[in-house]
Amino acid sequence: MADIIDLISSRRSIRRFKDEPVPDEMIDKVIEAARWAPSGENEQPWRLIVVRNPETKAKIAEIAKLGTGGRVTAEFSLSDYWQKKYAGVKDPEKKARLLRTLYTGQASEFAGNAPVVIVVIGELKDMFDTPYDLSCAIMNMLLEAHSLGLGACWVHGPSVYPSLVKRMKELLKVPTGMGQYKLIATISLGWPAESPKAREKKNFEDIVYWEEFGRKERPK
Amino acid sequence: MNDKIAYFNDLLVRFEEIFYHELSGMSHPKVEYIGTDFLRSKKIEGNTVEEVVDSCIKEIKAGGLVEDITYSRAGEGILLVLKVKNCIHLPMEAKLQYGFKNEGGVAPYMCPIANMILDRILNILHYEMVYNALIEDIDTNKGECRLKCVIYESVAKIGQVGDWRSI
Repeated sequence: MADIIDLISSRRSIRRFKDEPVPDEMIDKVIEAARWAPSGENEQPWRLIVVRNPETKAKIAEIAKLGTGGRVTAEFSLSDYWQKKYAGVKDPEKKARLLRTLYTGQASEFAGNAPVVIVVIGELKDMFDTPYDLSCAIMNMLLEAHSLGLGACWVHGPSVYPSLVKRMKELLKVPTGMGQYKLIATISLGWPAESPKAREKKNFEDIVYWEEFGRKERPK
Repeated sequence: MNDKIAYFNDLLVRFEEIFYHELSGMSHPKVEYIGTDFLRSKKIEGNTVEEVVDSCIKEIKAGGLVEDITYSRAGEGILLVLKVKNCIHLPMEAKLQYGFKNEGGVAPYMCPIANMILDRILNILHYEMVYNALIEDIDTNKGECRLKCVIYESVAKIGQVGDWRSI
């Protein structure tokens, strides 16, 4: 059995894509990866809507922009949360640029430029763990895309406001009843046009406890 | 009657706690529909934000949900500050903040009163997006809450940031 830690640790969130189509067989492989994700009671609630129509992608991008930009404009203006979060960025121009991409919503708008957008929804009726099952399916898809040399990034932003979710569902003709389908994210997919550095990760010893909460020493 | 209100507020506190436990910070935007039905069944009218908000306040007061609401606008028309006096949900906010048994509370994130006003602005004036961004002050002694909401008339308003902390 292959160890896939290198695949996992070399994956990046890709938000810029080359203007080249993604072959159908590759899209199918990415979807196949979702199909094999674990799910509670093996219910497999995931349903995937593959979008390549440029007009639909542009509308998805606008809803994503509203979701992220609307929230961050408020957070940026009402608190120092985002300034603190990027305090480590020393170059003021770079910092300003990073913050601007967030409060303008640009950070989530890239679906409009991706060759493929996969909208991840899940059945709710008679299911037990839909959001968590969908998250597992998304992770599988991101890793499979990376293993094929594709780039991808998932965005939950447009899925947090019920009013924006309704707009997304109407756009894609998904039933809008709150008890029917959960829309959890969009995944933008394409050939990478950027090679981002790894983001800073928390240290091993900062995230793990042994035997009980708070115990940091590994027992001998 | 007060026992009934306390009972309903306790239900909401439990729901808010569970919802926060399940979703962390993103529970805040997900509750935007809570409270909206009250004004959807009333005749709310207006062609401007002020007219709609005034119309909402009249119905909310008539319904006995609050003693009074005052408001102001700032931030290029994006920021709507609401000051709510003696709201029937104030005990809910206070209880959520400190937890039922001081086990560690949750910062209040849901205001049915703000939600119902924002929903009317969204649907009557066809704003692009509205959001109850911050429950800033909950003063149980004075019986007051102060809320900072954002109302985006168009997509172009997204990203028009400023320093609204001292407003």
